[in-house]
Amino acid sequence: MPPATHWVVTASFTDDGSNAYRRADGTWSRALAEAGLLTEEATGKVHAAQAVADEQRLISDPYVIEVHASDSKVEALSARERIRATGPTVPIRRPDSGLRR
Amino acid sequence: MYQYDDHDRRIIIERAQQFRGQVARRLSGEITEEEFKPLRLQNGLYMQLHAYMLRVAIPYGLLSSTQVRRLADIARKYDRGYAHLTTRQNIQYNWPKLGDVPSILDDLADVEMHAVQTSGNCVRNITSDPFAGIAPDELEDPRPYCEIMRQWSTFHPEFANLPRKFKIAVTGTPGEDRAAVRFHDIGIRIVENAAKERGFEVLVGGGMGRTPHIGAVIREFLPKRHLLSYMESILRVYNLHGRRDNKFKARIKILVVALGVEEFRRRVEEDWEATKTPELELPDAEVARVTKFFAPPAYEKLPASADQLTALSLGRDRELGNWIKNNVVGHKVPGYSAVVISVKMPGVPPGDVSDTQLDAIAGVADRYSFGHVVVTHTQNLVLPDVKTSDLAKLHAELVELDLGKANVGKLTDVITCPGLDYCDLANARSIPLSLEIAERFDRIDYLNDVGDVSIKISGCINACGHHHVGNIGILGIDKRGEEFYQLMLGGSPGNDASIGKILGAALPQDAIVDAVEKVLDRYLVVRESADERFLDTVRRVGFEPFRQAVYGDALFGAAAEKGAE
Ligand code: SF4
Repeated sequence: MPPATHWVVTASFTDDGSNAYRRADGTWSRALAEAGLLTEEATGKVHAAQAVADEQRLISDPYVIEVHASDSKVEALSARERIRATGPTVPIRRPDSGLRR
Repeated sequence: MYQYDDHDRRIIIERAQQFRGQVARRLSGEITEEEFKPLRLQNGLYMQLHAYMLRVAIPYGLLSSTQVRRLADIARKYDRGYAHLTTRQNIQYNWPKLGDVPSILDDLADVEMHAVQTSGNCVRNITSDPFAGIAPDELEDPRPYCEIMRQWSTFHPEFANLPRKFKIAVTGTPGEDRAAVRFHDIGIRIVENAAKERGFEVLVGGGMGRTPHIGAVIREFLPKRHLLSYMESILRVYNLHGRRDNKFKARIKILVVALGVEEFRRRVEEDWEATKTPELELPDAEVARVTKFFAPPAYEKLPASADQLTALSLGRDRELGNWIKNNVVGHKVPGYSAVVISVKMPGVPPGDVSDTQLDAIAGVADRYSFGHVVVTHTQNLVLPDVKTSDLAKLHAELVELDLGKANVGKLTDVITCPGLDYCDLANARSIPLSLEIAERFDRIDYLNDVGDVSIKISGCINACGHHHVGNIGILGIDKRGEEFYQLMLGGSPGNDASIGKILGAALPQDAIVDAVEKVLDRYLVVRESADERFLDTVRRVGFEPFRQAVYGDALFGAAAEKGAE
């Protein structure tokens, strides 16, 4: 069966700017896999608006994204959200040439 | 280089203290993100795709070794062990935690640095020629004027909320524009008039982004003493009449086109005549005071470099010879050379420098170049004052640091914006393309054969990677959530400024570097001689041979089709 389309509420954690995904119980996770899957985009928008009102200390700029969910995984639909969920696809620290302090 | 006075020091320290309070209030929830955002942007702090990003200002790209060591320290203490050189001669940290940023700003203030006005709708870092002060073809060192304008524009209350960001570049070399002044909101060229007086040619309305424009000259000769009053009049006309209803139409270039250059000039001149009070005139004494900070270092009296350079470039050490040919630049003082350190290495995102490399660069600058380093808008570093007799030793040290690549100005010296790996606004990734190019073409003979060609990559239409002015430009676009790329040819940022044009339909990620290779292979076939640069060939033969090379092939045709709208 093809993976079904769902919606997920995402944001950034205020302390370090990392990704935040809203769990089904309303708490926030750093992992997309733990996100609460919504069948209606409109529900996501309501949660996002609530988060702006109630949880602005913990998270910043919530919005809704589209995902494909199967038994094994949750994957964002757009390239942007896929990369956002998994981190930069390039080396993030320049390898040193054996030079050590 | 310029040294802060008490006033400079105080305003930067106070600003850092102010931001500490604002951050504390944001972390406690006392202020919302909506309230905090304009405050953090005024301090160069962005929210990117995975984390905050702090952009640190490097006025006209010039750093002391003490500052470089501090940047290394910050990378180590508060970030992930590296800093990223930007296309406007600044640096960025990609992973700071919000709570650490005030301490980073304190550490920066300690070495006369800050992140003020590296974001927001204000006058941004004023950029210049990376070889300012040492170029043999320079008429006059532009840095004193950059510094004077830096001081004038910092916290200028009238221009703190312009319709959009505002970028100024200055060159002191009329014969060769290495600062892309024609692609800035204001470009300034130091020129000489018929009476042999020095002054400024002022260009306005250049820029890249969604609607690229080459700046138009609005004043052919501005006496130096009027620099600030004339800048104020340009900014005032822009501030009053620039659009604020649509951010895509808010840059000064749009206003200049809407009014027409003549009308824009008329309004500036009218305002200027009414407002150029004596207080705004630059006194000679002030220019002399600032110029003193840029006085040449204590050069030794040495024989000219030409023979040594020839011997080194033709010597048995081919790696050194290629590096001398590609990375070493002439100096106006006999016996000295400028060295461009390439920060474009296979396997390393362009412009990323590790903390240990930064520390080592500071040491190298102290030992070989009077403790100075310059960040270039091409995301490399310059050691401006190296004795030609030290070049071989310096090269050996740079090789040890993984900074010895002999590719400056060549195919693999790609300008690359952060793209979708980091940037919140991106449509597509830029860095992986650069890495692929760096790897695929990492053959010095091929690089030398292809010669001077610039590739510039942007992950979206904002054009931070300057794709419009790449001889080969690549622009990332979004097609139904997937990454595609437009290939452009024929751009140039210099005195022969031109804006690249799209070659054909957008290509998917797995086809774009192949397309670049096909373009280059075709160039090698159609160029008149090995002396004809890629750009000149494109201008001579037009796009057709390259279009055929890329799209004539069935595979590319199909790939392009798939991605077409
Ligand atoms: S060009 Fe676009 S993707 Fe690249 S850094 Fe600028 S805004 Fe981001």
